[in-house]
Amino acid sequence: MNKQIITASVCLLAALSVAGITGKNFMEVKKPDELRPGPGVTQTKMLSDYFPDIAGTNADSTVYVMEGEQPGGKMLVLGGTHANEPSGYLAAITFVESGKVEQGTVFVIPRTCNSGFTHNDPQEGSPQYYTIQTKGGPRQFRYGSRAANPLDQWPDPDVYVHAASGQRLSGSETRNINRTYPGRPDGTLTEKASYAVRQLIDTEGVNLTFDLHEASPEYPVINATVAHETAMSIASNGMFELQMAGIAMSLEPSPTNLHGLTHRELGDYTDTLPLLMETANASQGRLRGKTNADLVLTGKDKCYVKAQKLGFLYVPYDETGHPIEERVGRHLQGIYEYSKAYSAQYPESPIVYNGLPSYQELFLDADPSELGGTQLGKYLN
Amino acid sequence: MMKKKLAALGLALMLTVSLAACGGGSSAPASSAAPAAPAASEPAGGGEVKGLEGPIAESPILLTSVGQSADVEMVKVMMDKGGLSPETNSLATEADLGDSKTLVLAIGGSSKGLGAAGIDANQELDRVNKLIAAADEKGLTIIALHIGGEARRGDLSDKFVAPSFEKADYAIVVADGNKDGLMSDLASKAGIPMDEVATMADVVEPLKAAFK
Ligand SMILES: [Zn+2]
Repeated sequence: MNKQIITASVCLLAALSVAGITGKNFMEVKKPDELRPGPGVTQTKMLSDYFPDIAGTNADSTVYVMEGEQPGGKMLVLGGTHANEPSGYLAAITFVESGKVEQGTVFVIPRTCNSGFTHNDPQEGSPQYYTIQTKGGPRQFRYGSRAANPLDQWPDPDVYVHAASGQRLSGSETRNINRTYPGRPDGTLTEKASYAVRQLIDTEGVNLTFDLHEASPEYPVINATVAHETAMSIASNGMFELQMAGIAMSLEPSPTNLHGLTHRELGDYTDTLPLLMETANASQGRLRGKTNADLVLTGKDKCYVKAQKLGFLYVPYDETGHPIEERVGRHLQGIYEYSKAYSAQYPESPIVYNGLPSYQELFLDADPSELGGTQLGKYLN
Repeated sequence: MMKKKLAALGLALMLTVSLAACGGGSSAPASSAAPAAPAASEPAGGGEVKGLEGPIAESPILLTSVGQSADVEMVKVMMDKGGLSPETNSLATEADLGDSKTLVLAIGGSSKGLGAAGIDANQELDRVNKLIAAADEKGLTIIALHIGGEARRGDLSDKFVAPSFEKADYAIVVADGNKDGLMSDLASKAGIPMDEVATMADVVEPLKAAFK
């Protein structure tokens, strides 16, 4: 056979196999992680049950309903608003897999911006997945992007105008669900997703809503709770208990002039009391070193240790990093204290649940060698 | 032939490298001011500042913010738990002093809080300076609290510290916020007692003790 044909065939085969492998990978990241709801989950719904327009799109997402035996208040936990902030996603999953509601009803959406889990931010070197050893064996979880997938919503405008307020932001923020609240039934896919969340809140009469986030260690609002003015009293009482428990956190009022965020718009447009929490995630920071699944789970990063010494950070940072147990523990303890403060202020509609680890159990009392996933895995099925 | 292949390979490599090198940056962080001064220095005037020896303050109490951080909400919770029930107005002016005998200042700047109140740092300073001057004139006891630690230091918060200490009669600070001795210095300059506590949760006791 002609030598050139052989060379060409080899090249063609190589190209096809590269396309095949990457294509398969590209399609696989669209599959949502398999969650393993515990006995506390009494019903599974979809966001599209509250706004049918998003059915069959990547904006649709599973809503886990956990109803207590006794009636009470209604609480919503939003995980995965930003798919590159794993502590919020994993705290929501831990709730679904280990929590048991006694009084009231808890709704949990682990992937609030579901589309954001179907891709990564380009050129960030983010891992596609990280793996946690759980009771049921090793499990993979997606590390996604802050924004919805451009394949689901394209093109971005040059300037994103927030519909309800006229606020102008950079075009890419049009795919950031936490800039689109209260949403629009006839808007972009992301606006429809936030509209569906709002419909859920209205339909179910959700009293208290948590939106779980992480931020880079050099971002000023970190290890913080941001509260709408209607939720400030609950927040300050809950925060007092968090302080007593040795969790350093700061409380921030929701700015009235910053639009599209849960802690502003859900308070303004619905009857729910919204709170947003932030923990420290090195893997989304600008000053980070090597970016991989280890960094996601341990937060150990020598560049951040150095940055801390130079005074660039808003959180303490040393060689022990900020393991996922500390970050998930902060979220879970926060939800616990704030919901307790809510129940104290609204005794006619209490929200009581158990089964979840405290900050102490998940982080402080853990064997240091098990931090970085193994300890958290004990609460995942 | 060989040369061409090498050249092609080289070009392909360069293309890859140049692609990889244009760097991330989809969401650059707000790289605003670095927080908190380095922790090393000794609390300068630390030795000269004494703690509070006996109660100095009385109800009714007006609690206000200096810098619009939600620390004022935290102080309110602490005072409520301590049975002190202050009248709280984070934007209080002279007119709100009423028959108050004590003015409690919760110091800490928050850009989110200033945004929520729809004012800027200078307007806030102006309000606070007038309020403190009026309270001082009327003979109120003024207590300055800095409970936010390191998180409430840095360019914005630091603006609000000195004006709060100037006419205060007593100060309580969380140690983390006083690593550089700024507040010890201010207390010693103002000649007032100051207690430094380890955490926010430890503020309640000395605060309660300050009231008759
Ligand atoms: Zn976020």
